[in-house]
Amino acid sequence: MKNIRVLIIEDETPARELIKYMLKDHPGIEVIGECADGFCGAREIKEKRPDLIFLDIQMPKLTGFELLEVLDEKPEVIFTTAFDQYAIRAFELNAVDYLLKPYSKERFDSALAKAVSRIGKETQEPDKVEKLVTAVTEAEGYLTRIVFRKGAGIKIIPLNLISYLASEDDYVMIYYSEGKALKPKTMKYYEDHLPPSLFMRVHRSYMVNIEQITRLEPYSKDNYVAVLKSGEKIPVSRTGYKMLREKLNF
Amino acid sequence: MTHPILENRSRVLIWCLAWVILAAGQASVIHFVYGSTTDIAVADGIISMLLYGLLGITIWFPVRYMLRSNNKVLSTIMNVILTGAVTIVLWLFITRALVRALVPEKEDYDLFWHTVLVFRVAAGVLIFFVVTLIYYLYLSATQLAEKASRQAQLEALVREGELKMLRAQINPHFLFNSLNSMSSLTLTDPMKAREMILKLSDFMRYSLSSRTDQPVTLQSEMESLRLYLEIEKVRFGERLIIEEDIQPECLTALLPGMLLQPLYENAVKHGVYESTEKVVIRTSAHKEDGLVVISVTNNIDPESVVTRKGAGIGLVNVRSRLELFFGEKADLTVTRKDDSFNVMIKFPYRKS
Repeated sequence: MKNIRVLIIEDETPARELIKYMLKDHPGIEVIGECADGFCGAREIKEKRPDLIFLDIQMPKLTGFELLEVLDEKPEVIFTTAFDQYAIRAFELNAVDYLLKPYSKERFDSALAKAVSRIGKETQEPDKVEKLVTAVTEAEGYLTRIVFRKGAGIKIIPLNLISYLASEDDYVMIYYSEGKALKPKTMKYYEDHLPPSLFMRVHRSYMVNIEQITRLEPYSKDNYVAVLKSGEKIPVSRTGYKMLREKLNF
Repeated sequence: MTHPILENRSRVLIWCLAWVILAAGQASVIHFVYGSTTDIAVADGIISMLLYGLLGITIWFPVRYMLRSNNKVLSTIMNVILTGAVTIVLWLFITRALVRALVPEKEDYDLFWHTVLVFRVAAGVLIFFVVTLIYYLYLSATQLAEKASRQAQLEALVREGELKMLRAQINPHFLFNSLNSMSSLTLTDPMKAREMILKLSDFMRYSLSSRTDQPVTLQSEMESLRLYLEIEKVRFGERLIIEEDIQPECLTALLPGMLLQPLYENAVKHGVYESTEKVVIRTSAHKEDGLVVISVTNNIDPESVVTRKGAGIGLVNVRSRLELFFGEKADLTVTRKDDSFNVMIKFPYRKS
C-alpha cells in the first residue's frame, strides 16, 4: 500500500514536534514537510500534493481558513487549535473533526484514523470545508481583508485598498490599488460580509468603497456615476444615489 | 478648568448684583456722608465698583495658579499679597483717571480723592480678600469633588479589574498553546517541560496575586514579564528575541501590577504571531525629571496586513489604569511606523 503523505502547517516548533512524535508509531504515514506559516503551506500543498494536512488556524500572514480558501484541490484536513470560540463552534456545526490543544494520544489517533479512512474516497461533501470557512467568517463578523491567488503566490488585500467590486456572471471581480482579482462568490455574499460602514452596493452589479469616491456626476436622467480617486467611474442607480446621499450627508 | 463665575449664568447674575449693590452703597456714602455732588458720587461709585467687578473676575487666574501649584505656604501668601497690591494699584489708578475725565468738578474730586484715599485702599484690600477667599473655597471644593470621583472610579476599576485579569490579561490562546507546548516537551525534552511548567506557574501566580490597587516595583513587574516572554520563546524559538536596557534606579519605582503586561502581549501578537521573520522586543527604562519613562518596541513585518480584531483595547486599558493610578502626569504614547511599533509610558517616580 502506498504511504499516506502528510504536511504539517503549524507556527510553533513544539506543536510540530508533538505531531511528528505522535505520528511515529503509525507505519505507512510519511511526513513530507513542515511549514510555520500559511504562505509556505499553500506553496507546499501545491508542489507536493499531500494526502493529509495538519492545519493550525492562527498563523502569521495567512490563517488556516484563508489558506483553504485559496486552494483548488483541498487535501484531507485535521484542524488544530488552542482556543478559538468561533472556529470551534463552526467545527461542531459542520461536523468537522478537529484537535483541541493540548490533546491526548487517543484523541489524536482517532482523528487520524477518521481522516485516513476518508482519503481517496469521495464520501466527504466537497463543499464541506467551504461551508465551514463561510460559517467562521460569519461568526467573526465582517471581513477585514480579502485573500486570493495571484500566479504562483497569494495576495492579501486590506479593505482600504479595494476601490470597488463588480459582478461578472457567477463571479465577482475585485478592483484594488494594484489590479483586479476574480472571486467565485456572489455580490450578495460581499454585501453581507463587507462592513457597511465602508462598502455600499450602489448598483445591482457594483459595490463601492465609500472612501474612494471623490464626486458624483449626473449621467443620464435618474442615473449617476461615482468618480473614484483612481479616476474610474462606477454607475450608481437611483436607489444607490439615495443611499449615498444619506450616508454621506449631502 | 473654566471660570467659576463665568461658567454659570446665575452666578454671573449674582456677581453683577453684588457689585451694583456695592456701587449704590459707595455712591450713597459719598453723597450723604461726605457730601459730594451727585455727579461725583454716582460716577465714582459706578466706575470704581464696575472696575473692581471686572478685575475681580480676572484675579481668578493668578489665584488659581498660585493655589494649585504646590509652593510653600509663605511664598503662596507673598504671591497673593503681590497680586492684591497690583490689583488695588491698578484699580485706584484707572478709577481716578476715568472719574476725573468724566466729572466737571475736577478740583473738588481731587480734594475728595485725597481725603478718602485711606478708606478707599482699606475697602479695596477688604474686597480683594473676600474675592480671593471665595475663589479659594471654590477651588478646594472642586478639588475635593475631583479627588472623590477619581477615588470612586479607581475602586470600580479595581473590582472590575480583578475579574478581567484572568480573562483579558492571561490570554486563553496563550495559556492553551503553552500547555500544548509543554505536552510536546514532556515527550521530547522533559527537563525543558519542567522548566516551562515552573515558569508558567510563577507567571500565573504573579498575575493572580497582583491586584490593581496594590502597587508593585518595576523589578517584580519585569521579572514576571520575563517569565511571560521566556514561555513565548519556547513556543516560537529563534523567532523571538528579547532585549532589555533598564537603568537600575528605575527598578524601585512603584506601579500597578500587570500594568505593562498588555504591552508585551501586543508586541507578541502583532510582532511574532503575524511575522515569519525574527522579531525583537526591546524594553528600555530611564528616569527623566522625576518621571519614569518606559519604552517597549517591537519590529513588525511591513508586509503583514493587520487583521486581528480588538487591537488597541489592551492599550486603552493600560492608559486608563495609568491615569487613574498616577493622575494627570502619567502619559502613554503609541508610535506606529511601517516596520516598528513603539509604546512609551511615563509616570511619576514613587519609591517603594
